[in-house]
Amino acid sequence: AGAAAAAVEGGREFDFKGYMVARAAAVNRALDAAVPVAYPERVHEAMRYSLLGGGKRVRPVLCLAACELVGGREPLALPPACAVEMIHTMSLIHDDLPCMDDDDLRRGQPTCHVVYGEPLAVLAGDALLALAFRHLADPSSYPSDDLHPPAPRLLRAVAELARCIGAEGLVAGQAVDLESTGLADPVSLDRLEYIHLHKTASLLEASVVLGAIVGGGSDDQVERLRRYARCIGLLFQVVDDILDVTKSSQELGKTAGKDLASDKSTYPKLLGLDKSRQFAEQLLCDAKDQIAAFDPAKAAPLLHLANYIAYRQK
Amino acid sequence: SSAAAASFDLRSYWTGLISEIEAELEAAIPVRYPEWIYEAMRHAVLSGGAKRASPVMCVAACELLGAPRAAAFPTAAALEMAHAASLVHDDLPCMDAAPLRRGRPSTPALFGVSTAVLAGDALFPLGFAHVIARTPPALVPRPALLRVLAEIARAVGSTGMAAGQFLDLSGAAAGGEAEVLLVLEKKFGEMAECSAVCGGLLGGADEDDAAALRRYGRAVGVLYQLVDDVLMEDEEGVGSNGRSPGKMRSNASAVRALGIDRALEIVEELKDKAKSELRRFDDKCGERVLPLYSFVDYAVHRGFLVAGAGAGAGGNEV
Repeated sequence: AGAAAAAVEGGREFDFKGYMVARAAAVNRALDAAVPVAYPERVHEAMRYSLLGGGKRVRPVLCLAACELVGGREPLALPPACAVEMIHTMSLIHDDLPCMDDDDLRRGQPTCHVVYGEPLAVLAGDALLALAFRHLADPSSYPSDDLHPPAPRLLRAVAELARCIGAEGLVAGQAVDLESTGLADPVSLDRLEYIHLHKTASLLEASVVLGAIVGGGSDDQVERLRRYARCIGLLFQVVDDILDVTKSSQELGKTAGKDLASDKSTYPKLLGLDKSRQFAEQLLCDAKDQIAAFDPAKAAPLLHLANYIAYRQK
Repeated sequence: SSAAAASFDLRSYWTGLISEIEAELEAAIPVRYPEWIYEAMRHAVLSGGAKRASPVMCVAACELLGAPRAAAFPTAAALEMAHAASLVHDDLPCMDAAPLRRGRPSTPALFGVSTAVLAGDALFPLGFAHVIARTPPALVPRPALLRVLAEIARAVGSTGMAAGQFLDLSGAAAGGEAEVLLVLEKKFGEMAECSAVCGGLLGGADEDDAAALRRYGRAVGVLYQLVDDVLMEDEEGVGSNGRSPGKMRSNASAVRALGIDRALEIVEELKDKAKSELRRFDDKCGERVLPLYSFVDYAVHRGFLVAGAGAGAGGNEV
């Protein structure tokens, strides 16, 4: 039902799946080229192992879509798109470390430290973090001289990325999340929202904001897209929590009811299932409001991305 | 200008700069929620004992070209934050497992491993944000600032300091001369090179000046560390197994791998190389080149001890 609703929305045809597949392929090619196997090879192999090992590339696609939405040419957004995916990968590598969440598997594959050892996993993460900024800041990452964004725009993009992933953003979310696990009392709704807004929404925010900035968007457009991203970031987590309660393990492709069995705080636990669903509806509605002012044809990718996050079945 | 360099008071220059750099760093890292992350970041950067060699090099290279030092302070702070981030991760139990850093508890030892990982991850972007927010636009053209950011990212990345730490961990430092020097270049030369070239770019260096500063910085970084190793060989019982935190991970020091005679030869070569790169600035920059000459002499002779605010056990660590 969700998919059908998405397809007819606005009465326009939009091949969302085709769009995602084509953009993900372009991003994968750009990522492959951005991390050549240089000396020392093992460091670069570890970076490539985690970076190129799959994933839906939601963040880079958001970046490309935001750039086009404000009238920028899509190739202009490939370097920032790669940068946000590098940061995402870095945060997963460090999150999976034994001293953090201690995960052996990621997307069905052994995690970086399992394959390459802990020291190299730390270094590969650090190197991806550095490379993300280098790739974003260096004008030579961009297609050609007439296409690379002017320096003030690139500096603004670097500043946004730095803020979104640091101790005010992604790191804050990871820190508070780690601090909150294993507590006797469930965390409050405020704290749950803080964690998701920082741990998940911050990098989605950086993704669309960077795309809009390099694409030459106005301040008003950038701020609308920022609010859109914060809504879908939170939406993603609320839907995740709902699916954990309502779907079987088989449907999800992972263990269902895991959150319920653990001490982890979730929206259904704190709000109940009905109110969680209402909250998800509200977030989807708010996200769509933010992009309603744009040309509907150009906004189609972001509209469908929001629907996809809201109506996914796993 | 060797005689002039000898009369230049590097100690006053350096200690004067340190207090300004400390103030810049102090203001750059506020304490907000989640406080423990900010406290860990502050500990990594501000707990004292650091020589601030990278920031001082950056400011000196900027002043060399006649630009005001205010143009360089934000980048100087970012260099120190990037450096501190890599040291915090070097000290992790899975890496060097260092309980102490500059005579004080290391960040992982004091704040726990996961907080240390995150503090390192947060320091690096904070440095970038600081450069962009604080560098006076009237003093530095925006394209030059972009180049500075790309330089810092390159220096700490997979072909720079991260490569050096990997090569050291995998035992390259116990290899032949080429391997030993490569580890020194990656672990210590890259940051000094980056500091010098960033200072130059901030000061308006042209391509040739920037390239000379790059070669100068790299030579000084390796020189400083190699002399450290020579001094450590002379002084038994410094650190454990003759090794101080922050140096080569392998117990065999660079000097032991090279042999003391060869090490001293290389010291002379690096000293000459660094000074020869400065010659081009003699006439056009006058006395402003003196601090850079004196860094070379200091690296070799260590006429005084440098340490930042609240310091005590500075040691020889850069």
